[in-house]
Amino acid sequence: MKNHLLSFAIYLLTTSLGIFSFLYPFFLPDLVQSSPENQLHASEMPWMITLLLGLCLLVLLYEVQSQAANARIIALLGVLIAINSVLRFIEIAMPGPGGFSPIFFLIILTGYAYGGRFGFLMGALTLLVSAFVTGGVGPWLPYQMFTAGWIGMSAPLCRAPARLLGFYQKRHEVFLLCVFGALWGYTYGAIMNLWSWPLIAGPTNQYWAPGVGFAETLRRYAVYYMLTSFAWDTTAALGNIALLLFLGEPILRALRRFQQRFTFLYQPVDRLVGQPAGRPVDQPAILTSPKGRLS
Amino acid sequence: MIHTWSWIAWLTAALAALSFTRNPLYLAINLLCILIVFLAQHTTAGSSRRAFPMSFYIILVLIAAGFNALMNHFGETVLFSIPGNVPLISGHVTLEAFVYGAINGLVLTGMFAAFSSLNEALPIRSLIRLIPRAFYPVAVVTSIALTYVPTTLRQFDQVREAQKMRGHRLRGLRDWLPLIMPLFIMGLERALQLAEAMTARGLASSQPASGSSRLKLSMLGGLALLPTGWLLSLHRYTLGIVIILIGFAAIVTALWIAGKATPHTNYQHEPWQIGNIPVLLGAAIVAGGYLFASSQHILYYTTYPRLEIPAFDPWIGLISLGLVTPAFVILLQKN
Repeated sequence: MKNHLLSFAIYLLTTSLGIFSFLYPFFLPDLVQSSPENQLHASEMPWMITLLLGLCLLVLLYEVQSQAANARIIALLGVLIAINSVLRFIEIAMPGPGGFSPIFFLIILTGYAYGGRFGFLMGALTLLVSAFVTGGVGPWLPYQMFTAGWIGMSAPLCRAPARLLGFYQKRHEVFLLCVFGALWGYTYGAIMNLWSWPLIAGPTNQYWAPGVGFAETLRRYAVYYMLTSFAWDTTAALGNIALLLFLGEPILRALRRFQQRFTFLYQPVDRLVGQPAGRPVDQPAILTSPKGRLS
Repeated sequence: MIHTWSWIAWLTAALAALSFTRNPLYLAINLLCILIVFLAQHTTAGSSRRAFPMSFYIILVLIAAGFNALMNHFGETVLFSIPGNVPLISGHVTLEAFVYGAINGLVLTGMFAAFSSLNEALPIRSLIRLIPRAFYPVAVVTSIALTYVPTTLRQFDQVREAQKMRGHRLRGLRDWLPLIMPLFIMGLERALQLAEAMTARGLASSQPASGSSRLKLSMLGGLALLPTGWLLSLHRYTLGIVIILIGFAAIVTALWIAGKATPHTNYQHEPWQIGNIPVLLGAAIVAGGYLFASSQHILYYTTYPRLEIPAFDPWIGLISLGLVTPAFVILLQKN
């Protein structure tokens, strides 16, 4: 019980701080204007926030990984991440239009099928591994890992509406996932812009201008997003929809089939004495709960 | 061979030097040093990766400059005006805004280049080794994924060849299904075999490993202290920073203790050679020098309201050259 409460507190705090870190450009101008000393330290903020986000990611990863410390999950995650990294590698070798990326649909599908923790690990580690493979390690990596982790972590949220509409484990659930994928196509771009926006726009001419407050910053970001990213992210959203539409159903079916196959368990013979034949002795904590999610 | 931690120290110094100033003269020296290090590493290692993507960096600087000039209308030297009432766009386009944007682009370019140099210098196994011991499941998953990437690529080629022989042609997204599904199923089968093999070798825990409550509490406390310190720093800077450092220390200590509980075997020790000393010294001089200069406001430069030639302190220029030490070490080792 105590451990569950602590885990819940860690999820809540890391996610809240993550959102806070991404949204800091919107409230920083007001804070910076409040005193001349703050203006001097304004340029340190992006690094401070990167540190905060990096630490949140470490703590969340530590908490999530504790649920995945068995051979089956490690093997499954490793191979799925390798497949997704290959898709990213292919994307870099043969770039698609605009922000199209083939990696998110698999993160969404695994998160939806295997649960939020698995989805988080799948998203965050796909970005880490593919960064190693493609030489994409940089200050943007914690932001990418966190956001991709959120995609996988939030995918199980589609189950409730799917059940409500009677789509769950039926053909039509893919349409719901398409809407989800489209939303994340835009949201991922909008979130990822936030790490570089203060650096590109430059703090001096943004924050020191008279009258720049929360509403004005939000308006500037909206214009910036519409001008630089909307078309780019539209291709990302359309790409997610197309991939989920064409590949979603068979892959989801395969994931569910393997979910059952991954419930094997090895135990010493002496412990099996007296157990009815064929009955699993101890179901793995992951992949097998009645809700079909990571426990 | 320069040690992984020496490279990390060099990267930290480079990022500090790039982020503490907007003076284009110092930035240019830093960028030049990073470029020399990249080229030294690239040429001596005979890397198969592509050469320094100069055109990408030039485009990055130009985009940053153009974007800032269009979006910000401060500055006295008006180049031209955009008529109308388009939000943020309409107004004077000034030379100052253009140069400021270019400087920001230069900072981003420097960061990209520093990380490119690190990616060029360090093999993947060194990067995995940087994953703290507390994250051993993550490290194992990463190792497995990296091991399987070449295999998966090979299998992708095999599937493609096989489908081509059956007359399959890629025309639309739907045509990817006969390529992706076999790859996916084969991958899952491989995962099953791997899981069996790992289980047979003793990695059979089916119970979720849960960290101790005390460690989790320490991490939670540390996390809570970080935003508290940050908010406090807006009013009482030193106290805020001290609280942030305490929060940071609480998290790092908890992770360190969690890592100590993980059995660890080193199969391949990374040798520590004498060449690391100048690299570390250079990094320390750059980081320390820029930190001191920043506290004295020597590095401050802005293009607003009127563009002026930036001040140049030869000492800062000399300190910046500390970033080039890895190139000397690499070239000396080669000869």
